[in-house]
Amino acid sequence: MLAFLAKYRSVFTVGLQSNLVYRWNFAVRGTFSLIHLSFVFILWGAAYAGQTDIGGFDLRQTLTYFIVMLVLQYFISAMNEDYEISEEIRNGLINQFLLKPVNYYLYRFTIFLSARFVSGLLALVPVALALPLLADKITLPGPGWNYVIAVPALLMSALIQFTIAYCFGLLTFWFLEIQSFIILSLAVETILGGQVFPLDLFPNWLYQLSSWLPYYYQMYFPAALLTGRITDLGYALRGLGIQLFWVLALLTVAQLLWSRGLRRHTAVGG
Amino acid sequence: MEALRHYARLWFASARYSLVRTMMFRADFIMWSLVEIFWMVVNLMLIAVIYSHTESIAGWGPWEMTIIVGTSMLVQRLLMGFFWTNLFEMSRNVRSGHFDFFMAQPGWPLFMVSTRKIDLEGVINVPLAIAVIVFAAHKLGLQPSWLQIGCFSLFILCGLAIHYATLLFFVSLVFWMQSAHGIEHGYFGLNEFSRLPREALKGIASVVFVYTLPVIIVTNVPARTLIHGPELGPALWLFGAAVFWLAVAVTVFQRGIRRYSSASS
Repeated sequence: MLAFLAKYRSVFTVGLQSNLVYRWNFAVRGTFSLIHLSFVFILWGAAYAGQTDIGGFDLRQTLTYFIVMLVLQYFISAMNEDYEISEEIRNGLINQFLLKPVNYYLYRFTIFLSARFVSGLLALVPVALALPLLADKITLPGPGWNYVIAVPALLMSALIQFTIAYCFGLLTFWFLEIQSFIILSLAVETILGGQVFPLDLFPNWLYQLSSWLPYYYQMYFPAALLTGRITDLGYALRGLGIQLFWVLALLTVAQLLWSRGLRRHTAVGG
Repeated sequence: MEALRHYARLWFASARYSLVRTMMFRADFIMWSLVEIFWMVVNLMLIAVIYSHTESIAGWGPWEMTIIVGTSMLVQRLLMGFFWTNLFEMSRNVRSGHFDFFMAQPGWPLFMVSTRKIDLEGVINVPLAIAVIVFAAHKLGLQPSWLQIGCFSLFILCGLAIHYATLLFFVSLVFWMQSAHGIEHGYFGLNEFSRLPREALKGIASVVFVYTLPVIIVTNVPARTLIHGPELGPALWLFGAAVFWLAVAVTVFQRGIRRYSSASS
């Protein structure tokens, strides 16, 4: 077991080093995200003009939701993992994993964790610098069960995000070009993951429907727990259950794609 | 006149090549067209959801706001269709040395770089963006005159010129920086503001996004023209901004070319 962990600890360290090479890219991206945040503040500020709440939440609560969403994005979102996996399949780099006692999914997931560790910390820099401007816009619920439930929710969100990206990467076994699939899926994820607006602003039937889909658990669910948009413990536990189901379902799909894809794969060269 | 005919022939040759290439990868074309449609739906859903909870944003009603969003989509589709890929490939070509190819072609390098490919999936969604604007105008009961439609079209071209110039300016920095990585995030980040009504911006945001960077006027001037009729002041402002940004971008590009030394061995 220890040898098993040591193997992936080394992968994590290598992942940290290679991601630190792109530290400026993450920092620049984090800074550009503040431009997006300014747009969100202006739009929602104008929408709230003349009224105290929208969908049962005041302006500060809604802005807090978007700030938390922005920070979480850098800690748990899949960024270019799908492209990297696709490249490794296309270039034949996965051949080495077929010969070594390394599980490709775990290898990629470990790299993903190290990348998010770096990107998350670097994205905090521009947010920390902007904190004096943001401080009066943030309002978080007091200590409670929501923070406890948010921990497994965040871990499973990261798993869902990564596994979806992993599955898209594996499509390279069948398709030469997967970029359009990824961007199409991104548009759906952006809406149904709650990145454009909090999902609770949907009409109730659509909100309930979205809560059965995996996208809901990619970002919205942990963000809603952390910002007090989900206040019913029973509903939160139900959410955790559905989230666990999606983790298992996606892991099954990933394993299926991997085993089927390998049958189509041809390793060439010495 | 002869020069114009020459460039028109070059453009049509590129357009024909793009059409043939697109038809060779039809499934890809369909997928990318769907991608473009989905992103337009994302923007419209945001408006629909906000207006299901409020009546106005900075004094603009839902259908007026839809005209702004539709105008933003129209300018962006035109940019995506005609220039986006070309300008992004320029950044890569300068780094790799493939830019030599454009220098050796029979025309102004900027023209050759900017018009090499046409992305039909962007162009094909232009009518969809127009349909969104027409539908919103119908909902508002607008019956724009030919003058309004003419001015609106002219302002859309000015907006396209501004977007093109901004992108060219940033991509041309590759002659000095060797990498234009991440510019797309900056562009899309700034472009989000073009979906806002000018009245929503106050203080420093107004100084930056209305007066310094022309992101707001690109959509607000055409939208107001369609809703309230043309106004001379904003029209001159938009036209002036288009000329200014084009001049800046072309100057930077020309300076960049002077610095360019091929990367080939």
